[in-house]
Amino acid sequence: MSDTTTTIEQAPAEVSGRPIRLDDVTKRYPGQTKPAVDGITLEIPAGKVVMFVGPSGCGKTTTLKMINRLIEPTTGRIVLGDEDVTAIDGDELRRRIGYVIQAGGLFPHMTVATNIGLVPKMLGWDKERIAARVDELLELVSLDPDTYRDRYPRELSGGQQQRVGVARALAADPPVLLMDEPFGAVDPITRQRLQDELIRIQDEVQKTMVIVTHDFDEAVKLGDWIVVFEEGARIVQYDTPERILAEPANEFVENFIGSGAGLKQLTLRRVRDVDVASAVTVSPGTSGKDALQKAENAGHGHVVVVDERERPLQWLSRRQLARIETIDAKADPALPVVGSSATLNDALDTMLVSSAGAALVTGRRDRFEGVIDVETVMDAIRDARANAANSEGAPVGMNSGSIGLTPSLVAAGEAAQVAPDAGSDSAAGAAGSTEGTTDTERGAAG
Amino acid sequence: MWDYISSRLEAIGFSAWQHFSLVAQCLILAVVIAVVIAALVYRRPALASVANSVSAIGLTIPAFALVGLMIAPLGFGVTPAVVTVTFFAVLPVLRNAIVGLGGVDPALVESARGIGMSRMRTFVRVELPLAWPVILGGIRVSAQMIMGIAAVAAYVLGPGLGGFIFSGLSRLGGAGATESIVVGVVGVVLLALVLDLLLVGLGRLTTPRGIRV
Amino acid sequence: MSDTATRVESSRKSGWRLLIIQIVAILAVLAAVCIWITVAPLSATERGTLAPAALWNSTVQHLSLTFVSGVIVLVIAIPLGVLLTRGPLRKASGPILAIANFGQAAPAIGLVVLLSVFISSGYWASITALVLYAALPVLRNTMLGIRAVDQRLIEAGRGMGMSAAAVLFRVELPLAVPVMLSGVRTALVLLVGTATLAAFVNGGGLGLLITTGVSLYLYSVLIAGAVIVALLALVVDWAGRVVEHVARPKGL
Repeated sequence: MSDTTTTIEQAPAEVSGRPIRLDDVTKRYPGQTKPAVDGITLEIPAGKVVMFVGPSGCGKTTTLKMINRLIEPTTGRIVLGDEDVTAIDGDELRRRIGYVIQAGGLFPHMTVATNIGLVPKMLGWDKERIAARVDELLELVSLDPDTYRDRYPRELSGGQQQRVGVARALAADPPVLLMDEPFGAVDPITRQRLQDELIRIQDEVQKTMVIVTHDFDEAVKLGDWIVVFEEGARIVQYDTPERILAEPANEFVENFIGSGAGLKQLTLRRVRDVDVASAVTVSPGTSGKDALQKAENAGHGHVVVVDERERPLQWLSRRQLARIETIDAKADPALPVVGSSATLNDALDTMLVSSAGAALVTGRRDRFEGVIDVETVMDAIRDARANAANSEGAPVGMNSGSIGLTPSLVAAGEAAQVAPDAGSDSAAGAAGSTEGTTDTERGAAG
Repeated sequence: MWDYISSRLEAIGFSAWQHFSLVAQCLILAVVIAVVIAALVYRRPALASVANSVSAIGLTIPAFALVGLMIAPLGFGVTPAVVTVTFFAVLPVLRNAIVGLGGVDPALVESARGIGMSRMRTFVRVELPLAWPVILGGIRVSAQMIMGIAAVAAYVLGPGLGGFIFSGLSRLGGAGATESIVVGVVGVVLLALVLDLLLVGLGRLTTPRGIRV
Repeated sequence: MSDTATRVESSRKSGWRLLIIQIVAILAVLAAVCIWITVAPLSATERGTLAPAALWNSTVQHLSLTFVSGVIVLVIAIPLGVLLTRGPLRKASGPILAIANFGQAAPAIGLVVLLSVFISSGYWASITALVLYAALPVLRNTMLGIRAVDQRLIEAGRGMGMSAAAVLFRVELPLAVPVMLSGVRTALVLLVGTATLAAFVNGGGLGLLITTGVSLYLYSVLIAGAVIVALLALVVDWAGRVVEHVARPKGL
C-alpha cells in the first residue's frame, strides 16, 4: 500500500485499531435450511478499512453484525485483538466497538452533544471529560462545536447527521468501527463529501474499520481491502482494490465491478499521492498591482487569494489582477477546489468543469496546499499502470497468510469440517447463485 | 341464563334489531352530514381547523351528559336518542373526512379540472373515492363508539338493547336482573362485531381496486 | 437550519396561545354557569341540590372516581403495554389488542351495572368498570408508541452497547412519550364522562345531578350537571394537553 507511507508522513497518528478475526463463524436462523452465513473465516488487519460488498441478501450485513454480536453467531469464534470475545457480555463488547448505521441513527430526543456522549457516559467518564471529548470529535468531523453542540438531530442536514453519527461511534475511542451502509441515505454529492471526510478522519484516527456497502465504487474509494461476497456470505475475493480491479477472481466479481474498470483505477489514487504544483498566494487587501508583480516574479499566470487561516477564497488570473484595485475577501463560490484526500477521479472531474483546466488542492482544515492540473493526472495514470504491472508480485501475501487467499482457505477449511459431499454441494450452489445474482445485477443496472 | 334468553328470544331479537337499526340509520345520517361539512371546509384551512376543534371538543363531552341535556328540549323517546347518537357519530367521520379529502394529491384534482370535469364532478368522481378509505376508517370508529352510546340513550327511553341494562338495574338483586344486564352488554358487543364486519365488507366493495391495499 | 429552529419555536408559541384560549373559554363558560345558578329563579329543591357545598362535594367525588381509576389504569396498562412489545410476548399483542378493541364496544353503562351485581360498594364497582373501560387507550397507545420507534434507533442503541433495559428507558420510552400521553389524555377524558354513570349504582359523582334532574323533572339541575361534567372533561383534556406540550421531548 503506497499511500500508507504518505498517510503516516502527513498525520503522525498511530494505528489505534485492533485486528479482528472471525473464526469459522456460522449463522443459522431457525426454520431456514440454508445458513445465512456459512462457516466464514476472516481476518481484518489492524488499522485498515475493509469493505464488505456483495448483492443484497448475501449475508454481508449479518457478518458485520456478528462482529459486535448484534447478531449472535450460531457457531464459531470472534476474536478482537488477542481476546476471544465470543462469550463476553454483548453490551460490554459493543461499548468497545463503534457502530454507524444509515442516516446516523441519531436519537432525535437528544442533543448532538448528548448523542455523542452516550457511550462515554455509560463507561463512567466524568462530565468535563465528556464535554471536552464531544467538542474534540465535532472538530474532527468538521462541525463547529459552538454551533452544533446543542442542536437536535432534526435541525441538521442528512450529511451533518451522518457526521455526528461517525463522531458518536468514535466517542469512546474504540479500536474498531463498524459501519452498515453509512452513506446510503444521502444524495450523491453529500455522499462523496462524506467519503472524503471519512478518509481524512481515518488518516487521523487509524481505526480498524469494517464497512458494508453495495456500491462497488464506494468500496474501491474507501477500502484498503475489499471482500466480495456472494449468497450465504461466501467470500469470492478478498484483495486490495487495485488487484480486484486488475484481476477479478471470476465472472461474478467482474460483473460486480461493472464497466469502466480502467477509469475506476483513477479513484484509487488520491490527490495527495501526486505532486501538486505550488502557487503564488496573497491575502485580501493586497493591491492588484502588488499581486500581479508577485505572479510575474514567480512566473505564474494566476494567484490564489487565501484568508487568514490559509483557506482559498479566489483564484485570479493576471488579466483579472490588472483590473483590480484592491483584492477583496469575498469567497468565489465557483472556485474549483479538491481536498488532498479526494481521488484523482474527483480531481479530474473538478478540473474538467472549471474554466482553468486545473484545481486548487486543500489539506486539513481546508488549508490551501497547491494546484493540480490535467498533466499531473496524466502522469499519475501512467504511473499507476506501471505500478499495477509491478504489483503482480507485490506482497499482498503480507496479509494473505491469513486473509489474502481466504477464498481457497475457507473452501479448504469447509471441506475439512463439513462432509466432503456437502462441500461440493455448496460449491455447486455457489456457482448457481453466481448466475442468479449476475442477472439481478444486470436488472438493477438496466 | 339460557332459560332467560330462550324465553325472551323474540324480545331480545326485536331490541337487538332496533338497536342495530338506530345505530345504522344514525351512522348513515352522520356520514352524510360529516362529508357535506368536510366538503365545505376542507379547502379552507381556518375553517378546517375550526371543524377539527369542534370534533375534538365534541368527543370530550360525556355521552350521558348530552343525553341528559337533550331531555330538556326534546323530552323522552326516540328523538333525543337519535340526536345524541348522530351527534357523536358525526365527529370521527368528520375528522377523517377532512384528513382524507385534504390528503388527495392536488395534482390529481388539477388534472381532473384540466380535462374539463366540473368542480362537483371532480369532487364526486376523484376526491371522494380517493378519500374514501380514510373516511371509512372514521366510520368504523364511529360505529364502535355509538353502539355503546346508543345503550346509554336507552336511559331516555330510546330503543334498543340498553333497555335490558336499565331494566336489570332497576330490579337489581331480583330474579333475572343479572341475566338481563348480561344480555344487554353481550348483545351490544356482538352487534358491534357484526356491524364492523359489514363495514369491512362495504369497504372491500366500495374501495376502488387501484387504491386497495 | 435556523429556519427550522424558528419554525419550531413559533409552533411552540402558537401551541401555547391555543391552550390559553382554550382554558379561558372553559373558565368563561364555567363562570356563566355559576352566575346562572346563583341568579336563576330556582325552586327550593333545585336550590338545595345545587347548593355550592353539594356541588363541590359531587365534583370532588367525581374527580376522585376519575383519578383513582386513572392511576390504576396507568399502573396496569403502561407496564402491560411495555411488556407486550418485548420479545416473545410481542406475538400475543395482536390478539390482545383485537379483544380489547371489541371489549371497548361493550357499553360502559352495562359494565358499571354488571359489576355492581358482584361488588357491593357502588364506588368500587364503578372504579372497576372505569378501569376496564379506560385501560384500552393507554394500553394501545403505549404499544403503538413503542412500536413506532424507528427500529434503526433501537439497533443503534444496542450497537453502541446499551443494554436492552437502557434502550427501553433511554430511547424507546422517551420517544413513545407523545403517543403515550395522548392515550392517557384520551383515557382521562373518557373517565370523566364515564364516571357520570357511577350515579346509577350509588357511586356518587356529578352524574347524580343528571339522574336526579331526570327522575325529579328538575331541568335546571339536569342541565347544570350535564354542563359541569362537560366542562370538567374539557378541563381534564386541557390539562392533558398542557402536560403533553411540556413533556414532549425536545427535538421531536
